[in-house]
Amino acid sequence: MAAPSKATVVLKAVKKITLRFCPFESNAQSTREFLCMVGSEKVRATNMNCEVISMVKHDKSEPVVDITYVDGERLVMKGANLSSREMLSSFQSRCIAKDPQAKAAAKK
Amino acid sequence: MAATLCLRLLPQQGWLPLTQSVRHGSKAVTRHRKPVHILRQKLMAVTKYIPPTRLVPPGAYPSQTSRVQEESPFALILKKALQKLFQECRMLAVVQNSASNAEDMMMLKYRLHKHGIRVKFFPNKVVRSFLNDSVYSNMAPLFSGPTVMFVSEEPRVKEMLKTLRSSPQMTLLGACIDDTLLSVDGLVSYSKLPSVSVAQGQLVSGLTMLTSHTASLLQRHPAYLSALLQQHVKQLSPDAAGPAAAAEEEAT
Repeated sequence: MAAPSKATVVLKAVKKITLRFCPFESNAQSTREFLCMVGSEKVRATNMNCEVISMVKHDKSEPVVDITYVDGERLVMKGANLSSREMLSSFQSRCIAKDPQAKAAAKK
Repeated sequence: MAATLCLRLLPQQGWLPLTQSVRHGSKAVTRHRKPVHILRQKLMAVTKYIPPTRLVPPGAYPSQTSRVQEESPFALILKKALQKLFQECRMLAVVQNSASNAEDMMMLKYRLHKHGIRVKFFPNKVVRSFLNDSVYSNMAPLFSGPTVMFVSEEPRVKEMLKTLRSSPQMTLLGACIDDTLLSVDGLVSYSKLPSVSVAQGQLVSGLTMLTSHTASLLQRHPAYLSALLQQHVKQLSPDAAGPAAAAEEEAT
């Protein structure tokens, strides 16, 4: 499996992550994997103020990931037809774009 | 020395020297990649394996006989354990933990053990294959990713929900209580239900309400009862005087 460029995700520019999915549906798997990747200890340690909230429903709704950034921007990903890798890469690219200084310092 | 001798003897015949001696060479086994001798190179090129060309790519026509892979004995043991669990425990909750260290896990296990709830880990593949064979096949999509099972003989839903509220990483996915699959909302409403004895009492009281009312009426003073019945007759007088008069006679 090709891992993303950085193994860990940096959540410095993220305020809140909300995941909504229905576990009895088959299209919620990628959302669940995304939750694992984003909710891991390492990732949460990068920003202790960021909340990761998961809501489990049973109304055959589509799985949705709602990310609120520090500057007020919102990223909404509908995970029904997305793979977890795609979601993670798009999320990471936006995080890097938001927080280039910290990234450059970390890379150097 | 041999090279110089050969040059003198064979130049006119045009023969290549039969032996090509090297002044100094490395040994057979070296640390670096030794350049392969030209003769060996030629031999390898000539004797290279050329696979036969297939007219049809390998995956185009799958074989009609399906190969069923036997399960490993460890998987069979786990399945037996799972069956025993499903038979014994009335409550089975499935929870996904995206991240929790050993410390958090230990605290959670301790808190749940106080209420008699055990924490079980099983590999997802084994669980899925077991569920697909058994009655509980609708639970199969719950088991993907890092999942933990909370099992207990008595369905202690309220305590479990309280304990899980303290650990934010654990996401409750669903539960199977008394062979009924419940979602999270169902579990919350299940926890709000009154206990069995209380519900039975409510049902019994609702059914016997009418008869108890009648019994209390009859126990009162007969004058009160006759006054009530007279009023009842007056109300029913346009409809039917006969049955009302007969009821009045019986009462008095």
